[in-house]
Amino acid sequence: MKTSIAILLLSAAIPASASSEVVDPLESPLWEYMREQFIGDDKFVFDERVKVELPEFAEDPTQVPITIDAEALSGEIERIVAWADLNPIQHIFTYYPHPDIVPRVSLRIKVQQGTAIRAAVLTKDNIWHVGGRYLDAAGGGCTTPSVANANPYWESHLGEMKSRFFPRQEGGRYKFKVIHPMDTGLVDAIPEFYIQQVAVRSGSGQDLAKMDLSQPVSENPVITFDVRNGGEKHSVWLRDNGGNEFEQEL
Amino acid sequence: MNIKKALVLGLFLSCQSVIAAPLAYDLQAKKVAENTWIFKGKLEDFSNKNGGNIVNTGFIETEVGVVVIDTGPSLRYGKEMRKAIEQITKKPIKYVFNTHHHPDHFLGNQAFSDIDIYSLPKTKSQLAQHGNAFAENMYRLVGDWMRSTEAQLPTKTIDTTGLKLGSHHLKLMPFTGHTGSDLVVFDEKTGVLFASDMVFYQRALTTPHTPGIQLWRDEISKLKAINYKVLIPGHGPISANTAPLDQMSAYLNWLDNTLIAAAKAGLSMNEVIKLPISDEFTGIKLSRYEFVRTVAHLYPEYEERFF
Repeated sequence: MKTSIAILLLSAAIPASASSEVVDPLESPLWEYMREQFIGDDKFVFDERVKVELPEFAEDPTQVPITIDAEALSGEIERIVAWADLNPIQHIFTYYPHPDIVPRVSLRIKVQQGTAIRAAVLTKDNIWHVGGRYLDAAGGGCTTPSVANANPYWESHLGEMKSRFFPRQEGGRYKFKVIHPMDTGLVDAIPEFYIQQVAVRSGSGQDLAKMDLSQPVSENPVITFDVRNGGEKHSVWLRDNGGNEFEQEL
Repeated sequence: MNIKKALVLGLFLSCQSVIAAPLAYDLQAKKVAENTWIFKGKLEDFSNKNGGNIVNTGFIETEVGVVVIDTGPSLRYGKEMRKAIEQITKKPIKYVFNTHHHPDHFLGNQAFSDIDIYSLPKTKSQLAQHGNAFAENMYRLVGDWMRSTEAQLPTKTIDTTGLKLGSHHLKLMPFTGHTGSDLVVFDEKTGVLFASDMVFYQRALTTPHTPGIQLWRDEISKLKAINYKVLIPGHGPISANTAPLDQMSAYLNWLDNTLIAAAKAGLSMNEVIKLPISDEFTGIKLSRYEFVRTVAHLYPEYEERFF
């Protein structure tokens, strides 16, 4: 008995390369396919240190708050990929955090139905650390027309940003909101139109955080980043798939 | 008896028990004042088990006919309700009111389709817009209890502030705090206040369509000015004192202050939904569940204020 527990513990700690050896803790029917898409044949391990925070159910499937927190792996991170297994467009974002930024980000997303939400963190030793949580939802978030589609307000305010710095016990937090319809392209006769790139830059022009966003990010995105050096000046730069670029001092 | 036979019998019995239990709300009219009864709902959320019976509905028997206040979450409920009313009074049902456009208050309308159904004008347009979606969602939430239920709109809109029915004088008061269009009915003869979902008591309030916490709180103060003898909340136990209104004010204040403080500190939604709920409200059913929903409904507006 003792031996079998020891083996079990051992096997949990060794990253798997062949998927069949590891069971998806969220029992998602699409796990294998998602793994192929986002991780391929790389080594991976399900790792509770990669935290995916979300409510148990999507009260509004067009605005589901998610927080991805990989602070426990800070300093070792190459990139973080977040996705929703059962969304028609699964990829949510890929995030490249600089060591000077806390690898934690909060934003809101659209979901089409109840689904596993995942974050896979690639560390410098070439192992993916996969975290996730299940979200219950009535559905329809990706095929609901954006509010902007019925209201021309966004046309004259596209890319307008509001931001605020909040001092924290250590460092500080930036929260910013940008006016953008973030159309998925899945609604009849409304082409996809969404922000693809986000960069938070230090005063010296260095990219502290680079993110590639996909269509499931909610309309008028509100994004929260935590920086370690609250005293420094930062700016944010965005680019959408129409080639529009927006930049603002934070 | 051998094992095989026992198994077969066991299967048979278990199947039978499923078939032998038709869905029933088993509504019991409870007299709360002279000529006034209510059907009390459970302090729960919609589920397959309760069939959506989480709401207080009621009726008043006047000399010239019966006034029904809200029709419940399903056709089945509406039918049971009507039957229970007809067991208590032989007087015809004259008026049916939908206090607001939420599914647990109007989806029994089909059972009263031969009678004029009244709502505030805005409630009627809200029902025209959202009624079908609400009905669909109820099928998802409570299942077969909803069989044959369809959203049926009120046939008339309320264009008066009072109704004289025999010796009963009913004040029809429009409020907005819960959904933007909330009817409160006060019977001046008996002192019974049908507060609809303007008041939740011992069950956390819901906010998907509130025009604002502060506005709702201001309207609770107006309800306090009414000299009622019995208050019937939309959800929760009836009361002869101001405890339900005091609880509403305290909870709305706490909610407002909590969301302001959270937005000022720059918290993300996932941080806000984990904030502690004041000890004062731990006895309120579903307080965490509804707080999480409220954050989804209202926090973006609070965030907006502190950008």
